[in-house]
Amino acid sequence: MNLRSYIDLYQLLDGHALTHEENRAFALKNDLQAQSSLRMLLAWVRAHQNSLSSPAQSAKFCKYLYIVSLVLGVLALVLGVMTGIGLLSYSGKEPVNLIYFLAVAAFIPLFTMLLALFSMLRANQAQSLLIHISPAYWMEKIVGFFSQEARAALSKLTINPLLLNWLVIKRSQLLALLFAIGLLLALLGIVATKDIAFAWSTTIQVSPKQFHTFLETLSWPWSSLFPSAVPSVDLITQSQYFRLGETLDSGMVANAARLGEWWKFLACATLFYAIVVRFGMWLLASFGFHQALKESLMSLEGVERLLFEMNTPLVTTTAPKQEIVFAQEIHQYSRVLQTVDPHYKTTLGWAMSKNDIVILNDSMQVSSECVFDIGGTNTLYEDEKIISGLQGEVLLYVKSWEPPTMDMMDALLAIITQVDKITLLPTGTKEDGYIPTSRELNIWERKIQTLNHPKVWLCRIN
Amino acid sequence: MSHQLTAPHPKFAVVGHPNKGKSSIVASLAQDDTVQISDTPGTTIKSRSFPLRMDGEIIYELFDTPGFQRARSVLAWLEKHDVPAHKRAEAVEAFINTHRENERFSDEIELLTPIMEGAGIIYVVDGSKPYGEEYEAEMEILRWTGQPSMALINHIGENDYSQEWRRALEQYFRIVREYDPMETDPQQQVLLLESMAQLDESWRVPLKHSIVLFEGRRDQKLEQSAKTIAHLVQSMLSHLEQFRFSGEDVEDTDRQKLLKNYQQHLRALEQKSQKFIEQLWSHQHLQKEQESLLFEGVDLFSKESASIFGLSRQEMVVTGVTGGAVTGAGIDLLFAGHTLLLGGAIGAVVGGVGAYFGFDELSGIKVLGKTLGKRYLEMGPMENRNFPYILLGRSLYHLHKVAARSHAKRGAVTLTMDETFKEKWLDDQSRKSLEKFHKRFRSGDEISSGEIQAYEALVLACLKKIV
Ligand SMILES: Nc1nc2c(ncn2[C@@H]2O[C@H](COP(=O)(O)OP(=O)(O)OP(=O)(O)O)[C@@H](O)[C@H]2O)c(=O)[nH]1
Ligand SMILES: [Mg+2]
Repeated sequence: MNLRSYIDLYQLLDGHALTHEENRAFALKNDLQAQSSLRMLLAWVRAHQNSLSSPAQSAKFCKYLYIVSLVLGVLALVLGVMTGIGLLSYSGKEPVNLIYFLAVAAFIPLFTMLLALFSMLRANQAQSLLIHISPAYWMEKIVGFFSQEARAALSKLTINPLLLNWLVIKRSQLLALLFAIGLLLALLGIVATKDIAFAWSTTIQVSPKQFHTFLETLSWPWSSLFPSAVPSVDLITQSQYFRLGETLDSGMVANAARLGEWWKFLACATLFYAIVVRFGMWLLASFGFHQALKESLMSLEGVERLLFEMNTPLVTTTAPKQEIVFAQEIHQYSRVLQTVDPHYKTTLGWAMSKNDIVILNDSMQVSSECVFDIGGTNTLYEDEKIISGLQGEVLLYVKSWEPPTMDMMDALLAIITQVDKITLLPTGTKEDGYIPTSRELNIWERKIQTLNHPKVWLCRIN
Repeated sequence: MSHQLTAPHPKFAVVGHPNKGKSSIVASLAQDDTVQISDTPGTTIKSRSFPLRMDGEIIYELFDTPGFQRARSVLAWLEKHDVPAHKRAEAVEAFINTHRENERFSDEIELLTPIMEGAGIIYVVDGSKPYGEEYEAEMEILRWTGQPSMALINHIGENDYSQEWRRALEQYFRIVREYDPMETDPQQQVLLLESMAQLDESWRVPLKHSIVLFEGRRDQKLEQSAKTIAHLVQSMLSHLEQFRFSGEDVEDTDRQKLLKNYQQHLRALEQKSQKFIEQLWSHQHLQKEQESLLFEGVDLFSKESASIFGLSRQEMVVTGVTGGAVTGAGIDLLFAGHTLLLGGAIGAVVGGVGAYFGFDELSGIKVLGKTLGKRYLEMGPMENRNFPYILLGRSLYHLHKVAARSHAKRGAVTLTMDETFKEKWLDDQSRKSLEKFHKRFRSGDEISSGEIQAYEALVLACLKKIV
């Protein structure tokens, strides 16, 4: 997991929506269910990274970040060396006040580390004010200002502020570390090539004894390892320096060789406070960054959905194949009657009893010589026999609410061969007073349209 | 090899007379809004499979089939072969094999094939129309197949002939149930699945499983809907819209443009959320016909929307929502006219869209910095106290319509309002809890995921009151 996975995920979720099917299939195929959410996400990012247009935003961003870090790192190192040289510059006239060096090598680092700790605690606030005092933040602003391309790349990304905070914190620690290394290098370099008389001087009333106690406390981390790197009371007394005299204390000159002893203490102080402790801070910051990365990754918009899709069994119920659409052209049927004739040679009823037909005849005021029921529970043979005896004009009652089946159409075709004219009369239910709805009539009309035979008529009464 | 070791999954063929709602029942069970359904008999011409799959594994399979067209001819063919009872299924098999290429029997072949491949029979009739003797041939054919069977009485129309249907159906089917495909009550579906489980001993476990899946899926849908709506409210309230203007002073047209962009952005968010919810509830095909499923002409920023979904002045006072000038007397006036809207399509009743929310009523407009000669106008976060309730009301109403819409329904959704809708989901208690969050969203602060989750839970509770 790194910043790249975060940015890639951000981009993938932003633009490349995959379906539940694809995501679930991915989780199943890679056997991810038992894994932690984070692992699932990372596996998913890895698998889909390639679909991002290259070079990916993440690559651009990380490259930019790397270059900026490199430049800043080199700058910090050089700055450390220069500062060291500046602090240790020794004209031979005045001894080097070791308090300045100590301030840069131990006190300032301790103070800034305290601030860093504080900003780590507050990093979860979106707008951590302390971030703005970090050198990394400002140096980056300056560098970023010069690189148009990098700025363009950055402006398209909205990185979680929490993550950005940690990024700055972590990098500040790294820069401070490099600075301290520069400082140490300068110290070692100068000590190796020059003789330096260290001294200490202060306006405050501090007795060498008190100063010794203080320095002893400072050096406890290495006192047992390097006892010689702990200044003795003697050394401290000898190297106290007052500027008043314009000239060097004769005692100091006499002990000039001993005054150089201090470097061990200074080197250890730098090594421990500016480097070792800072390295610890860097580790802490890396850990914090890692946590922030995890948290930001999990809180990216769309992640919850993605995890849901990977974790939830895909249940589908719909038909996998597209349906063939039934289509019929609709024309007006030309052989439509609005009234029923009073007399027919034969009245037939489709799938109804003889009794029903008689009742229908009555209610429609139709008279006929014969009445037959066809369809329904009749056998095909019975129907055949009835149909073969038909002639003249025939009225056929059908139940308007029932769909015209092909069974009925077969019978109709057979009837046509025998009669001069056949009129279909769809009737509604008894409860509706035998009145069909126009919707039902339309269905019947459409059906006999498929036959479109001159002998077939439809009677629409409603 | 392996599939021979495991029992085959249960199959069910939904069969019956043409135009009696077979496809509707399948669409409702399979929650598939693409099924062809129309009042023209013979709409379905091919059998179609609707498998219930979990991660690709089929739990059961449903078949939609064409209706019987020449039942008497088929039965005549079968009876001509005069076979003993235990050989009847073979006769049906023989019928299929003999007539596979015969156009005349294409419907019967289509519907009998899944049955002869082991599907249980779900025979569908319309209980709102009288029983008729022409049904006997097809029921007899089904009996010949020897497959376990049940009957479902559907009610397409107003009248009720279910008593006579029951008497007839019980002659042929051991189980007779009623089912309304236009209803989305999950309980009804569970009952049907339980009946289907009774058809065969070995089908019980998979169908129990399917019930669990359906119930779980419904809970997930509700949860996801609540998340979507909560997210919508949060992102709308906290949205910041910027507009770069040229020139020294802010012109009125600049403000107008900013307002327009701001509103447009929020509308787009609402629409996106609605589409997502429609998809979540498997109604994605509706959106092809309409821009948005609902609210045609009832704009997010309209008076009617505010008056129907927003809080009344009194409710705002009770909740402590009154924001001074932000929510003015307009609400009272609007509510006086509320009765006008009842039962009608809202869009038709009130005109004058867009006048209700002025600049200040949504959010103040700030002029931002002057870096490198560029100046920005900014609008947001949403300051109107009533707006979140309007938005929630609309979202819940939309969800309620989508969730209650049967997958067997075709055609546009009708928007009929009644004044009780708000009462159903919003009471004093929930209003107070919601307001706390709305205040946070308005603040422009970063909202923690814990807060979002708490808000989602609130929305879910409101949502469960209406769905
Ligand atoms: N109001 C109402 N209408 C229904 C109901 N069930 C079906 N319909 C309507 O009845 C008509 C026929 O429904 P389908 O589901 O297409 O019937 P089908 O049995 O599949 O028809 P075919 O495929 O043609 O054999 C459609 O217009 C449906 O909208 C119901 O329960 N209530
Ligand atoms: Mg159908």
